[in-house]
Amino acid sequence: MSIYHLNKILYRTDNDAEFRKRMKVDPHGAVEEFPLSGGELEALVTGDVGALYRMGVHTFFLNHLARYELFGVNRDNYLARIRDGMEYDERFELGQMPMQYVPKE
Amino acid sequence: MAKLVLAAGVPHPPRLVREIADAPGQLRAESLMKQVRTYFEKAAPDVIIEVDSDHFVNFFYNNVPAFCVGAAQESEGPQEIWCPMPKYVVQGHVPMAKSLLSFGLKSNFDLAVAEELRLDHSMMVPLHFLNPSMEIPVVPLYTNGFAAPTPTARRCYSLGRMVRRFIDQWDANQRVAIIASGCFAMDVGGPLRGWTDEQWVTTVSELLETGRYQALARRATAQRMAAAGNNSTELLNWITLTGAVGDVRPLFLENDNGNGYAVWELE
Repeated sequence: MSIYHLNKILYRTDNDAEFRKRMKVDPHGAVEEFPLSGGELEALVTGDVGALYRMGVHTFFLNHLARYELFGVNRDNYLARIRDGMEYDERFELGQMPMQYVPKE
Repeated sequence: MAKLVLAAGVPHPPRLVREIADAPGQLRAESLMKQVRTYFEKAAPDVIIEVDSDHFVNFFYNNVPAFCVGAAQESEGPQEIWCPMPKYVVQGHVPMAKSLLSFGLKSNFDLAVAEELRLDHSMMVPLHFLNPSMEIPVVPLYTNGFAAPTPTARRCYSLGRMVRRFIDQWDANQRVAIIASGCFAMDVGGPLRGWTDEQWVTTVSELLETGRYQALARRATAQRMAAAGNNSTELLNWITLTGAVGDVRPLFLENDNGNGYAVWELE
């Protein structure tokens, strides 16, 4: 597992202007140099925010996918994608749950 | 001798400066910031300690200090290109930062130190409103709030007490203000985005208003803060502040959608 490198790709996108440019021009090429597993690379380049979230990528970094509109992720589809793999828990409305979305069993 | 004259807690919404400029009327956040600013002007501090958590702009997972004192001569921020507000140069206070570092180490607080900093919006939004001329030097005191596991709330409370002991013995004719930067409950980029855990906000507010700071530090467990949203660990910075104010209760405390605004007058 290389969650560290998934986080690092998005950290550099936000903090390194040159790398950010590469992510805009050739995102697939830019991420190629990082030692990601096949599943991680697949989740990243398909913009599968829910899968990346479940793998443990930090939400602050996931947010950059929408912010910089990378791999098909944008502000409009971000929330639905991160909630993919979670389900709404109705106990929330009864005040019995602190979270309204919980991971599916 | 140095003296702690004021403590203030405020949030740091990264788009607040733009939102205020674009709003047809006055936003509640703007009037609350102005209210805090009034007490800041009255207290006239010579130096600010800003207790904050970096949002992966200055620190990354390659090097995450639990606590770190900023000892740069000057620093710039906000660094985020997506944060719509003026860019500033902030003056540091190296002698104070180094003295705090030494005092902390002698008090069994193994603080890290950084002599070059990239300030993010969470440092800059409070300073934009409370130190707009940027003439008052700032010593950043970072707590790891986001790269789990984070320090416990009880440890942050002890950190605040240590900071107060440091100020009280610091041999400098300086009036000191402490700013805590952060929210009570919020989710940024997570599945709970847009929701505020009002139950937790009420609990936090009541414990702060009644001065039950150690009870707050006991109740603010990592699990409880996480349940209130991924950004809710910013409460740790408020808890550090409460360690520094002693038994004094806040002069006022207001909420605005999970964001707290408060002032403690200490003289």
